[in-house]
Amino acid sequence: MIKRLLATTLVSLVIAQPAMADFWSDAAADLKGETIRGVSESTPPSNYVRDVLAPAFTEATGIKVEFETTSWDQMYDKAIKDMEANSGIYDFVYIEQDIIYSYLARDFLVDLSEALANKPELKSADFSFDDFTTFIDNFRNENGDVFGVPMEAFIKVYLYRKDLFENPKEQAAFKEKYGYDLAPAKNFEQYRDIAEFFTRPGDQLWGTTVQAASGHPASFYEFFESIAPTYGVYNWGINLDAGAASVENGGQMNSELAKQALAYWVSLLDFAPPEATASTWDEVASTFAAGRAAQGWVYGENAAWIATNPEKSTVVGKVGVTLPPMNDGVMADAEAGKGYIGYYDGGAFGIPYSSKRKDAALLWLEYIGQPSVQADWALAGSRVVHQATYDDPKVLAQDAKADGYFTLMKEKGYLFKGAPEYPFHAQVREAVAPFIYEAIIGQLSADEALDKAAAAADAELKQLGYSKK
Amino acid sequence: MTRSFIRSPLMTFVFWLVLSFMTLFPVWWMFLVSVRQRVDLFGTPSFLLDVSRMTWGNYQAVLSNPTFQKYMINSLIVSTSNAVLVSVLGLLAAYAMSRYKLVGKDNIFFWVLTNRMAPPAVFLLPLFLMFTLWFRVGDWSLFDTRLGLVLLYCVFNLPFAFWLLQGIVDGIPRELDEAAYVDGASTFTVLTTIIFPLAKPGLAVTAILTWVFAWNEYLFASTLTSVDARTITTGLAEFVTVTGTNWGQLAAVAMLTLLPAALVLALVQRHIVAGLTFGAVKG
Amino acid sequence: MRNSTTGWLLIAPTLFILFITGLLPFLYVLVVSFFDWNTFAVNPDPHFSGVENFRRLVFDEAFLYSIWLTLKFTFFVVTSQLVIGFGLAKLLSRNVPFKGVFRTIHTLPLMVAPIAVGATWRLLTIPGLGPIPHFLQKWFDVSYILSRFPDQAFITVVLMDIWHWTPLVTLTLLAGLSNLPREPIEQARIDGAREWQIFWDIILPFMKPVLLTTVFIRLMDALRTVDEVWMLTGGGPGAETRFIGLHIWRVVFPKTDYGYGSAMSLLALYMTIVICWLLYVAMTGMKDNKQ
Repeated sequence: MIKRLLATTLVSLVIAQPAMADFWSDAAADLKGETIRGVSESTPPSNYVRDVLAPAFTEATGIKVEFETTSWDQMYDKAIKDMEANSGIYDFVYIEQDIIYSYLARDFLVDLSEALANKPELKSADFSFDDFTTFIDNFRNENGDVFGVPMEAFIKVYLYRKDLFENPKEQAAFKEKYGYDLAPAKNFEQYRDIAEFFTRPGDQLWGTTVQAASGHPASFYEFFESIAPTYGVYNWGINLDAGAASVENGGQMNSELAKQALAYWVSLLDFAPPEATASTWDEVASTFAAGRAAQGWVYGENAAWIATNPEKSTVVGKVGVTLPPMNDGVMADAEAGKGYIGYYDGGAFGIPYSSKRKDAALLWLEYIGQPSVQADWALAGSRVVHQATYDDPKVLAQDAKADGYFTLMKEKGYLFKGAPEYPFHAQVREAVAPFIYEAIIGQLSADEALDKAAAAADAELKQLGYSKK
Repeated sequence: MTRSFIRSPLMTFVFWLVLSFMTLFPVWWMFLVSVRQRVDLFGTPSFLLDVSRMTWGNYQAVLSNPTFQKYMINSLIVSTSNAVLVSVLGLLAAYAMSRYKLVGKDNIFFWVLTNRMAPPAVFLLPLFLMFTLWFRVGDWSLFDTRLGLVLLYCVFNLPFAFWLLQGIVDGIPRELDEAAYVDGASTFTVLTTIIFPLAKPGLAVTAILTWVFAWNEYLFASTLTSVDARTITTGLAEFVTVTGTNWGQLAAVAMLTLLPAALVLALVQRHIVAGLTFGAVKG
Repeated sequence: MRNSTTGWLLIAPTLFILFITGLLPFLYVLVVSFFDWNTFAVNPDPHFSGVENFRRLVFDEAFLYSIWLTLKFTFFVVTSQLVIGFGLAKLLSRNVPFKGVFRTIHTLPLMVAPIAVGATWRLLTIPGLGPIPHFLQKWFDVSYILSRFPDQAFITVVLMDIWHWTPLVTLTLLAGLSNLPREPIEQARIDGAREWQIFWDIILPFMKPVLLTTVFIRLMDALRTVDEVWMLTGGGPGAETRFIGLHIWRVVFPKTDYGYGSAMSLLALYMTIVICWLLYVAMTGMKDNKQ
């Protein structure tokens, strides 16, 4: 499968763009034989880069690309250590949207706009920052200069089992029990009712997935990036101006609304399969793909394969995709740009300042940012970073099979938002997450958990020097 | 009567049979997961192998992966070199401790042991700097080299080898080497012709156990290697955290990690006990 | 005693390697522990903060809790492994058909990498996939969810460690048993001593060096357990299996809190040394009383 993709990509690159082939070999004339090394989490999109794009790039330029794929935690540890120590191991690194602000604050990355302007001979005519969706704005600094070439982007959507929701018997039974029509939930009450209705442990079916790993930050993310915002608590409830999270210091993290949100989310565990408290993003996807849940919040990178890949999923053709449920007023906030309704996730490749082969790395980033490689890559990893990719026939065909996931992302993507612009992202997450874990297993009530979490966040911000008090 | 019944060979045999099942159960389950199709994993668990739905796909996927082959080779080279290195150095050091009057002997001994006590996580930071910056010649550094791992694994294996071998060397009668020295033998001759042959069973056990510890190490390898020198345990971790729920392949890798070690064990197990003579901490 | 220069030369390579791989990093950590240093603080450079890190540690509930958990875990696994390992070693020193096969099987877990041990047990315990939750539910109506019930998680981690490391204990004790002198035991039997007396007065004292060594090795390794627990529970649910090694890892790596993490490590190392030392003294003392 990968081999076939590789072959078709190579062919399409060589045949369709003879002019381009010249640019790459010319630009790389002095760089031939160099080896650049990068580190990335091994996800379908980055595996495609490693298996398909990297060999094609080597073919075109003579520059070798080495890929270290590793786990999510490890990737950050190693990239940060390398950049911090200035050891120059990596020539390109994966930058998830949520860590870019930390990297920018430390000047870890090469300014790509400037680098391209300074070296016109390395600038491919085919590459332009303007081709990208607005997701690239996450990787700009205040001057608008770009520090990362986006390679994947998704939205965290609401998945539901179409076959169950459209079954007339279920619809009748639901209407009888709850007094309104069974349809994808618009608000949290409906979501709860539907979850309760479909919870049938005897049939190995539960009402909802919950990404509530009780010892992994995934649960922190689901709460603060999907649930809290749709309740109306944005940016983790942290007030950046005050440098604080607690209500008494000007934040929102332990506000009444946030506490309601946490209590609600934890209560969903009653309608979730037993693996929910061990579920990260991967397990949520696999629970849904195994047909064990009727609905759930699922990362977009998984939505497409759940809906289309019969080798891995038992619910192919039965998946519906739509916007998540939310409180009144949240949609208005999102439309007005004051809030958001969920997580716009993704990542880019950037060049660490410590790299010793910046020119070769720059060519490589341009190569993966070309329009011509985008569509096949989108099919392999259900990621879209170019505006034009949405209209590609192959992507449109995939879109139809995945119940309009790509269309939803194209049209409603602006309502979603990535992680807040915090240079202290991982530090505060580590301080706060344990209390979310304890709320999940019921050691703390939602109120206690968030009070403690907010206090811990305040202390951490103070320790790091972000507190304005 | 009851007592002799319980102590009868039959009961002992039955007891061991049951215990063996318990020991093997997790490994058997891992094997089952590795040969089942992905869609068969969930649902009512069965302990029996359904041969008709069995698949070697996971093993094929893993074995045909050149990266995996490289990891396996790296692991073999690193653990074997490390085991040989620490056994030799450990023997020399143990001999020195046993036969020579060294100032502060007890303190040296205890200090050597403390190297195995440190929680490894925090030491990765200085080790990272050491591997990338401190020991650097031009473009070459210890980072991502097998040599680096071989040296680093000494930090937990050398104390162990030293300790194990000291008991063994102590057990070799002093008169033997004294007699040789009187005959004019050099230290090297004494070590190679007297100590080494007599310490052989102990050396074998030391080599095997340190080999296993090195083979099994994860945290250092995952941080201090990148592409070229990665070992099989890091590969295993990649399969877990990364593809998250690709349980079948994960189980296949785990089985493949276990195999070489199990083979070694089956071949040498009868010698292990003979060579294990701890006695260093005599008290 | 021979010329000590040769002795020093023989031990030099060992000391040299351990200086580099052990002492040098230790000194670095020692220095860093007196600094406030987080890569993503407003001031990302290390700055001297005296004993502030250590002062914070004393009041750090999460840290203290993880120390307590580690001690509890270590106590349970080391004592169980000693008892079980001793029993099995006794049994294995008898003649049983297929002794070699049983011994190989029993030693098998030792050969599994900790990270694979964690993965294996995860495969056993995941709800929906693993057989343990399924059959506990079916036969005993017990809801077994590792990620939800702290006690279950803790017990499972202990059982996993027992499964994994008892073979090492069995092997070393078996080695000790096979070197037992026969005569005093035979003599005691003839004199009419009871089995437990023989065990207490003859076998145990003779086995002491081996026992002590075994306990030491297991103690050191149990106190710094990371891989298998990280793989099985990730330290959860909550922080209920977040042993000190894992806790430090989270502080130093994802949180990049180098100074504070260094201080934690030093305390953990100090604790390990003290425990080993106390044990050493206690056991050597026991012998002196006997003589």
